[in-house]
Amino acid sequence: MNWIQVLLISAVLALLVYLLRSRTNAKAKAWVKVGYLLFVIAAVYAVLRPDDTTVVANWLGVDRGADLLTYALVIAFVFTTLSTYLRFKELELRYARLARAVALQSARTPER
Amino acid sequence: MDIETADTYPGDARAADVWVIVPAFNEARVISTVVRELRSAFAHVVCVDDGSRDGTADVALAAGAHVVTHPVNLGQGAAIQTGVEYARSQSGAGVFATFDADGQHRVSDVVRMVERLRRGDVDIVIGTRFAAEGATHTPLLKRVILRAAAWLSPASRRLGLTDSHNGLRVFNRRVADNLALTMSGMSHAGEFISLIDENHWRVTEQPVEILYTDYSMSKGQPLLNGVNIVFDGFLRGRMRR
Repeated sequence: MNWIQVLLISAVLALLVYLLRSRTNAKAKAWVKVGYLLFVIAAVYAVLRPDDTTVVANWLGVDRGADLLTYALVIAFVFTTLSTYLRFKELELRYARLARAVALQSARTPER
Repeated sequence: MDIETADTYPGDARAADVWVIVPAFNEARVISTVVRELRSAFAHVVCVDDGSRDGTADVALAAGAHVVTHPVNLGQGAAIQTGVEYARSQSGAGVFATFDADGQHRVSDVVRMVERLRRGDVDIVIGTRFAAEGATHTPLLKRVILRAAAWLSPASRRLGLTDSHNGLRVFNRRVADNLALTMSGMSHAGEFISLIDENHWRVTEQPVEILYTDYSMSKGQPLLNGVNIVFDGFLRGRMRR
């Protein structure tokens, strides 16, 4: 097995574990920010020295740096999709509670 | 409190402590009949109008139901939760029943389920269309999928339930007070079963008949929705509540 395969699969599994455990606490939010910061630094570096991504890719058993970026993009996309889905579900629940409160306040009783 | 004397059913099933919850979305054509039939057996009916655009709320009110109206359409699970919250806040409410608005259930089944609950050894009675003596003719594909849904749910298997998506349920105060459905759409049936399992509510099934009329079939959920239900079931518990 290539190193890239190990890496990609463990990234997917880690994302799953991360998603399925309790999210949205202060700690998780802080880590998301740290991750974002690292991402920005790496992105700037890759833009300045694009050939270095190929070097990193070669360490991992991938031929081209562009391929490595594609893999990373796919993982990031899956992560975003899932977390957005869960976020929407949460918002739906709050929205339902709001609508319920309104409904209960304006309940109508029959005459008899 | 309005207790009518016209008692078409024997026993004390019509006692004033029973509240029947009817979630309804665009059911103006049939809701009047459903409410009237229920009111011939039970004193209190609350119709949760789930943001209908066809005047369901007014028809239900005229038929003698309490009416709670969602300002927007939320889904059947949300409507049931709203109905239970309304009913449990009424003084004297002790027994709660859920009943679909499309006319697929029989009032006599609810009466028998209430009698079963009153024996006191269970907290909730769920209807099943798959009992051995049940004469219901469930369409084959629907039967296969519903049985698979019951089997796929660990809670349902553990509790020995055969029909986890039956809309007929009768339960006591203990269940009503702790009920907190978060799945707004059709996945609430599986969530209900999970809640029974997690809260250790004592549950039993009772054979009931489902009337598959053209109307109720046209209002029923498409079978493909089962995919959504299974998916939501897996994500349950990962959500903050």
